[in-house]
Amino acid sequence: MAETKLYSRSQEAGKAAAKYFVDNNPKYFTKDFAEPHIPCLMPASVSMSLEEVSEEALKERIGLRKVAAAVEMYDQLVQAGTPVSKQITYDLLDLVSFYDDREPAQEGAPVTDQMDTPAKEPSRRRGRGQKVGWQENNNADRLFRLLPERDGRCYAALIRGMVKHGASSKAFDLYTDMLNNRLTADIHVYNALILATPHVRETHSERIDLIKELLTTMNQQKMQPTLQTFNNVLMALRSCGGLAKSQALYTLREMKALGIAPTPASYNHLLAIFYRGVTGSNDIDILDQVLSEIARTSFTCQDPEDAWFFSGTMNICLETKGLKQAYQLYKLTEVGENWRLLGDPFQENMFYYRFLSLVCMMENMDVVLKWYRQLVPSVYYPNPQLMRYLLQAVDMDSRLELVPSIWKDMKSLGHDDKSWLVVEVQESFAACALDIKGAFAGEGRKINLEWSTAALYYVTTILMRANKTPEACDELLKDFLSQRSATPAMAVELVQMSAGFFLATLSELQSSWEHNE
Amino acid sequence: MQNYAARTRVAKGNKPVTYERAMNPHHIGHRKGWLSQHPCNLKGEEGAADRAMEDTFIRRFIFGTFHGCLANEVVIKRRGNMVTVCAMMLQKLPPQKFYFLTGYTESLLSHFYKCPFKLEIQTLPEKTVYKYV
Repeated sequence: MAETKLYSRSQEAGKAAAKYFVDNNPKYFTKDFAEPHIPCLMPASVSMSLEEVSEEALKERIGLRKVAAAVEMYDQLVQAGTPVSKQITYDLLDLVSFYDDREPAQEGAPVTDQMDTPAKEPSRRRGRGQKVGWQENNNADRLFRLLPERDGRCYAALIRGMVKHGASSKAFDLYTDMLNNRLTADIHVYNALILATPHVRETHSERIDLIKELLTTMNQQKMQPTLQTFNNVLMALRSCGGLAKSQALYTLREMKALGIAPTPASYNHLLAIFYRGVTGSNDIDILDQVLSEIARTSFTCQDPEDAWFFSGTMNICLETKGLKQAYQLYKLTEVGENWRLLGDPFQENMFYYRFLSLVCMMENMDVVLKWYRQLVPSVYYPNPQLMRYLLQAVDMDSRLELVPSIWKDMKSLGHDDKSWLVVEVQESFAACALDIKGAFAGEGRKINLEWSTAALYYVTTILMRANKTPEACDELLKDFLSQRSATPAMAVELVQMSAGFFLATLSELQSSWEHNE
Repeated sequence: MQNYAARTRVAKGNKPVTYERAMNPHHIGHRKGWLSQHPCNLKGEEGAADRAMEDTFIRRFIFGTFHGCLANEVVIKRRGNMVTVCAMMLQKLPPQKFYFLTGYTESLLSHFYKCPFKLEIQTLPEKTVYKYV
């Protein structure tokens, strides 16, 4: 079952390989047999057609997102002395700043399988784009300086690009430059600058002051804040410590006053601000309030950060052990189009993993089983950690008869190569065997069960395999060897296994066996 | 003059031969089926030659892409616009490589012939021998 993902991904990879061939050799695939014409089966125009130095060629390269080729064409045009219109120059500047002078990533890069690393998510996803940030004197800077007159639009392109790729202090320098030149920044610049605030100020209060300053400037320019502004404010407030809580609530009230509906991203930031590490008893309320407010609402994705709402909130439920809230959150995913907001496969896995582990920890075995059967394997393939939680729940409830079915699931999911997990299963089986032994030795029963040879053999082997040698060897082996119908092969096997554990009674066993022979 | 078309000549008794190869061409319709099914050979239909060329191309393409894995001849069926290629393969490659090659073939042939292609493969551990000649 775990191979279905591998197979479907290899098929996708094959399709991507074919697409690569088709796009790079379009001349073999242009003959059209189909009547009517099927556009999706024709090669996509990925390569440039115009080669001569002209504005149309530059426009084409910008349209195809070929960053290096576009910059080269622009340089050629400038050297040849042809005037390039302002619009196209601004487009080129936008392109270069957005991609930070690097080519855009290839489409359809395969998503790596990250099911087995549940703990590493936050550090990975908070990185800003690529690892290498904005370089000194790259093409965007160079083009910017070459421009004879600089408009608000050029500043905007550069500032937004810098913030996207991590050069926050340079972005603020450019902003002050812009103000000195008496140019007005537009709403997108302010949004980007708000996002960059945590990187340019050190203490929490300074950051909050800077955000307030930017917002007052916006107010003076009579600019209406958009949804993106508020979401960026909340995101920046995440790194402003405890002072941020009141500010965050204030922001939310402003949003309501302006009639902008908060998206899941805003709620995600809000909950992250309130649930930083330490959980106070008064903070549980806000999670309840948020959940009751957005229950039965169907959201559409408006902010890239929306995708982290569900897994982040489920994490909070897990840490505060809020089972009721977790059920409410799960119900929310079933409303309308909300399942689309579960995010990429990794986030989805995180969501279900946290939900199921919470249920395993808090509820009794029947409820756990009900949720397990409902979610696995239709929406979620469990990772090894979850199987361990499941086994622990089984242990706590002493429902050891479920162990074989869980073991079967583990085998089909491909978890039987994790040695620590297999040992846990062996422990559970050994507990089973001890139970049976207890049943056989039980007194006060109406009918005493007699040990049969086969039963003895199985129980002994299970206990030996789980390294529970003292229990195994005290009576069982001797009982077994005293049975008349014990076959030599079984006896040899048992003795070999016990030999592996350096039993002190080994010599005793050997002598009794020889005596039986 | 003897006929040599699509017949395997008798050897010393150690040459394994599949059912397809063992039957001669005059057994088509009696003991063998057709390897390529399309309506162009019916009365009043056109395009038989084009389909024959396409079939040859497809057979060579599959033979080369799944090199050394074909257990038997490729069967090509056409229904309306769709072309279904059915092949029996040996289990020489791991399954994910088969899936990769399947996705690649389907996509490439669809783009080439501008019609939907489906590749259905079954795998066998080894070639099924009908008799030894």
